[in-house]
Amino acid sequence: MHWFNTVGALINLDHPGHFLHWHFIEVSVANAVVMIVMVATFVVALLAPFPGRRSRKENR
Amino acid sequence: MTKAFRPDVDAPEWKGGYAPYDILKEGTIALVVVALLTIALALIFSSPDEHAVTIKSWSNATPVDFAQTALSELNGTSGTAQYGAPYNTASEGQKLGPLALAKWAGARIPVNTVRDFVIDPLRALPDQPPLTQGLATWRSASDATRTNWVAHYTKAASQMTYANGQVVVSTTNAGPVPLFINDLTMMARSGALDQALVTQHGFYTTDYTKPLLFLSDGSYLKNLAQKDHLLGTQWGMMNETGSYPGQAWLWLYTFWYQVTPFSTSANADVQVWGLMMLLSVILLFVPFIPGLRSIPRKSRVYRLIWREHYRNL
Repeated sequence: MHWFNTVGALINLDHPGHFLHWHFIEVSVANAVVMIVMVATFVVALLAPFPGRRSRKENR
Repeated sequence: MTKAFRPDVDAPEWKGGYAPYDILKEGTIALVVVALLTIALALIFSSPDEHAVTIKSWSNATPVDFAQTALSELNGTSGTAQYGAPYNTASEGQKLGPLALAKWAGARIPVNTVRDFVIDPLRALPDQPPLTQGLATWRSASDATRTNWVAHYTKAASQMTYANGQVVVSTTNAGPVPLFINDLTMMARSGALDQALVTQHGFYTTDYTKPLLFLSDGSYLKNLAQKDHLLGTQWGMMNETGSYPGQAWLWLYTFWYQVTPFSTSANADVQVWGLMMLLSVILLFVPFIPGLRSIPRKSRVYRLIWREHYRNL
């Protein structure tokens, strides 16, 4: 199982976290990253063109 | 007579063309992508690896805190002893305005901290003649005598120390109480108390209510939680141990605990729960609430998503 443990430790997150403070708001950097990725995914989903649009245009 | 068209309620009849759409194909692709992402992220980041906090680890790390907590179980000043429902009737428990919800639910999981956390576990210890004698003395004493012993010990316990493997409290007229606290601390440090407190309902032992309540009455668990930003006052509900992301979707639930009146309320748990239930019901009934149900139409986000269609109109 040695190789598996090595792979699992590629990026070790088992150390004290970092936190962002703003007034009474306190959020971990890890959670902030997840939230930013979620918002970015939502914006991309709004703006990215639908797949197959080109082929539909060509068929017209 | 024709009814007027209601833009948020009625759907106009579609008179354009139709295109085939394979929802099974899309679902399968989503499933495969999420599964691959899960495997890749697990391989790269692994998962939190916190060791379980036990009464054994607590009493070995901070024996005085454990012994002080054991005393609070005996003299009835611990959080569990004074909590109320569902453990006892010591207080009304959580109230939502005039509604005493916890009291109405009753003490469904009865916990008598003197009996369940101190006396019964000590009884389980074999071959301890002084302890057996002490338990017999306790059993034959009146309630007033017991209260007097515990009061004497409690008075002296502020100077409690732990030295040479013993809990040291300089006291007199405390009956068998010093023996109880010392032996319970020894029992905890050996790991035997963890096992004695687990409730056996069947073959598998999965009911950790009592050891968890005992742990939460001390300050050791709270200090560990504070270090990892897991306390309610630290938005702890959405945090994870270490540097792992936690339950970010609980941001609204934990947000209420940070602001008044909830942050200063003794009934914050049930008040926040009530508020979240109310908000959930509002969300559920958005299609029926005038104004709220118009937001998707008036914000025109749909025109951004289907911009190609609207451009060609």
